[in-house]
Amino acid sequence: MTGRVCRGCGGTDIELDAARGDAVCTGCGSVLEDNIIVSEVQFVENSGGGSSAVGQFVSLDGAGKTPTLGGGFHVNLGKESRAQTLQNGRRQIHHLGNQLQLNQHCLDTAFNFFKMAVSKHLTRGRKMAHVIAACLYLVCRTEGTPHMLLDLSDLLQVNVYVLGKTFLLLARELCINAPAIDPCLYIPRFAHLLEFGDKNHEVSMTALRLLQRMKRDWMHTGRRPSGLCGAALLVAARMHDFRRTVKEVISVVKVCESTLRKRLTEFEDTPTSQLTVDEFMKVDLEEECDPPSYTAGQRKLRMKQLEQVLSKQLEEVEGEISSYQDAIEIELENSRPKAKGALASLTKDGSVEDTTSSLFGEEDAEDEELEAAASHLNKDFYQELLGGGLPGSAEAAGGPEGGGGPPALESLLGPLPTAASLGISDSIRECISSQSRDPKDASGDGELDLSGIDDLEIDRYILNEAEARVKAELWMRENAEYLREQREKEARIAKERELGIYKEHKPKKSCKRREPIQASTAGEAIEKMLEQKKISSKINYSVLRGLDSKGGAGPRREHARPQETAGARRLSRRKAPASTSGADPVAGVRKRLRPMVSTQPAKKVAVGEQALLPSPPSLEAEPVRPTSAVVVESGPVSYHPEEDADEEDPDEEDGEPCVSALQMMGGNDYGCDGDDDDGY
Amino acid sequence: MDADSDVALDILITNVVCVFRTRCHLNLRKIALEGANVIYKRDVGKVLMKLRKPRITATIWSSGKIICTGATSEEEAKFGARRLARSLQKLGFQVIFTDFKVVNVLAVCNMPFEIRLPEFTKNNRPHASYEPELHPAVCYRIKSLRATLQIFSTGSITVTGPNVKAVATAVEQVYPFVFESRKEIL
Repeated sequence: MTGRVCRGCGGTDIELDAARGDAVCTGCGSVLEDNIIVSEVQFVENSGGGSSAVGQFVSLDGAGKTPTLGGGFHVNLGKESRAQTLQNGRRQIHHLGNQLQLNQHCLDTAFNFFKMAVSKHLTRGRKMAHVIAACLYLVCRTEGTPHMLLDLSDLLQVNVYVLGKTFLLLARELCINAPAIDPCLYIPRFAHLLEFGDKNHEVSMTALRLLQRMKRDWMHTGRRPSGLCGAALLVAARMHDFRRTVKEVISVVKVCESTLRKRLTEFEDTPTSQLTVDEFMKVDLEEECDPPSYTAGQRKLRMKQLEQVLSKQLEEVEGEISSYQDAIEIELENSRPKAKGALASLTKDGSVEDTTSSLFGEEDAEDEELEAAASHLNKDFYQELLGGGLPGSAEAAGGPEGGGGPPALESLLGPLPTAASLGISDSIRECISSQSRDPKDASGDGELDLSGIDDLEIDRYILNEAEARVKAELWMRENAEYLREQREKEARIAKERELGIYKEHKPKKSCKRREPIQASTAGEAIEKMLEQKKISSKINYSVLRGLDSKGGAGPRREHARPQETAGARRLSRRKAPASTSGADPVAGVRKRLRPMVSTQPAKKVAVGEQALLPSPPSLEAEPVRPTSAVVVESGPVSYHPEEDADEEDPDEEDGEPCVSALQMMGGNDYGCDGDDDDGY
Repeated sequence: MDADSDVALDILITNVVCVFRTRCHLNLRKIALEGANVIYKRDVGKVLMKLRKPRITATIWSSGKIICTGATSEEEAKFGARRLARSLQKLGFQVIFTDFKVVNVLAVCNMPFEIRLPEFTKNNRPHASYEPELHPAVCYRIKSLRATLQIFSTGSITVTGPNVKAVATAVEQVYPFVFESRKEIL
């Protein structure tokens, strides 16, 4: 009937037994299909005398178990990819969910999320396990179960931040707003794990109260809820005379010991901690505290202010020192007739260079003393404030700076970059070597605007020969291991090449895009496309190939079966357009055609065929035909299950605004093989 | 309210990232050997060159593409990029300075009040996302500006965006929402 070919003997005589749902070849007797989906209802008698319907349950999600009787394998090995993915996902969700002790409702919801994710292609490029975990966690959050992301990551042995990333993406794409986590949710779970016995409930209540207090004291914003719970439970346990050590608590709560201690210290800072146990249970303090990070910030601010005050004082003292230095210098100069060497030219330039040069520690007996004194004085002050950091550049800069305050302090004060201090030391060096500095304004026009770029400085960036050699050696020494590995690899490759077994590891080529199909008519295009990719098992390829395919959208209305295959070919679209076109008479004709569908599908096919057969894909010619074609019925029907009616679609779609779904489906309530149609 | 609040708030740009091309193949080995302040990462195939004057770090690939990070303003970034190109020129390569583009700007801003994060998240549902288990700040994305803000409960906000203007606009945009969920100082 179906025109299929038996795999065993090649015979075409195949008998379909609706009752048993089999397809058997009458030639060799091999069973080709089992459990065919039929729409007949059959009843069988039970042993008890009652009757029950014949049939099997097929699950909604997949195509059900594909039978493999008699060693035959089916055209597409069971299911299509999408169904397989969903089934796989369902299995994994159940597996993971059972480990978390989630109830069935949660698992079903998680599976729904998963289905949504798959339809939005969010599983692409991600490990399935991650997506599953994200779906489950989403369910946990929406249902409010006390499961943490950490639990899931423990089960999967995956980094919790990776899971978190996937989870956030999923929540955003599915537009699901997960309610914020309340640490109170975790209390019963952790209390249970800490085994408080009879007083479990009381300890839980106390811990809850503590948590709420913490919330009001602003300890919970931006913190992991588990850490807070841990602290609350520890205190609650102690309040009820349970000896729970920090180690036990952290093993249950899964935070670090230092985190727990920190939380406890923060809690200690709040006024609530001063209350006794009884007072706490009865009284609730009115005032709220500032969050701990805020108080820390305040402390920093105060420190800054203190430093600023100190630095101002320092400036004054510095001013005094420099004036003393100047005075001493002058005295020394006057007392000594001639100055020495390099110092002479420098000292003539001014007092600035004096201090700098002296501070740079040039060797001169008198200056040494001065330098020692100056540096000693300076050092004291700086060390007081900094603990001895950056004495050199700070001192150097301190002199000429004058009013700006020591840059070392500035670096402490915040994001004012240390570039300031280094920039200044640069400029000092350049002052000494008497170079002028251009203003560094970027005014770039043209390809490489050299304005403001100091070539000499850039020259300093380039090493000379000796330096280059030294550097090369250093680098070689550092990266010796990497170089050795490279050499070994090359040696290995050379050896393998000699032996002839060298396998080139070519980088994976991404699959080429197939060339677009060149075809003159729609039918040809479809043929070629189908040759290229075998899409679905539900298409009778052999029949298709044997047909003369020309334009015709009519027959496809019979295909009630959803053909989610065939890429862009959407059946529903074809249904509507099949009936419409620009001209009204055509539309009228089609409408009339449709009621005939349920009763005489074949005839309608023929008519439709005739109508559309002679016309090219554009439908302008059609209005002429149908009027005559309605009456005429011709013989063999050309059967076009698959055709690219896409070019027809845009014309036709605006013709009929409301078409019922049934009508669009071609009114075919058989619900069985579209294969029924041909030949009759 | 917006204009006034802008005056009070100072947005500090901490990092500007830019890219440019030299349109010529660069011999990394030569740069590594003759440059004074370079790190040669042979396994990855790039050279890190650090400049002092505008404090920037540049990643140089042999194809001639260079990424410059660490500048504190857009002009500085451009200037540093030019200096870098100049120093490469001096090393002997035929460098052409093309396709300069600022790619990312990171700025920090401090609000004078604290912020209630759970409340803020609830009021700004699609844009804001808050996972205390993962990160202590709320992540607020503005699609139109392609900017992301991280809002902490202390009131400090970190903004990243494609350029300085977008960053400023982002802060202006978010200010009223943040102001709603602030914590009143008693």
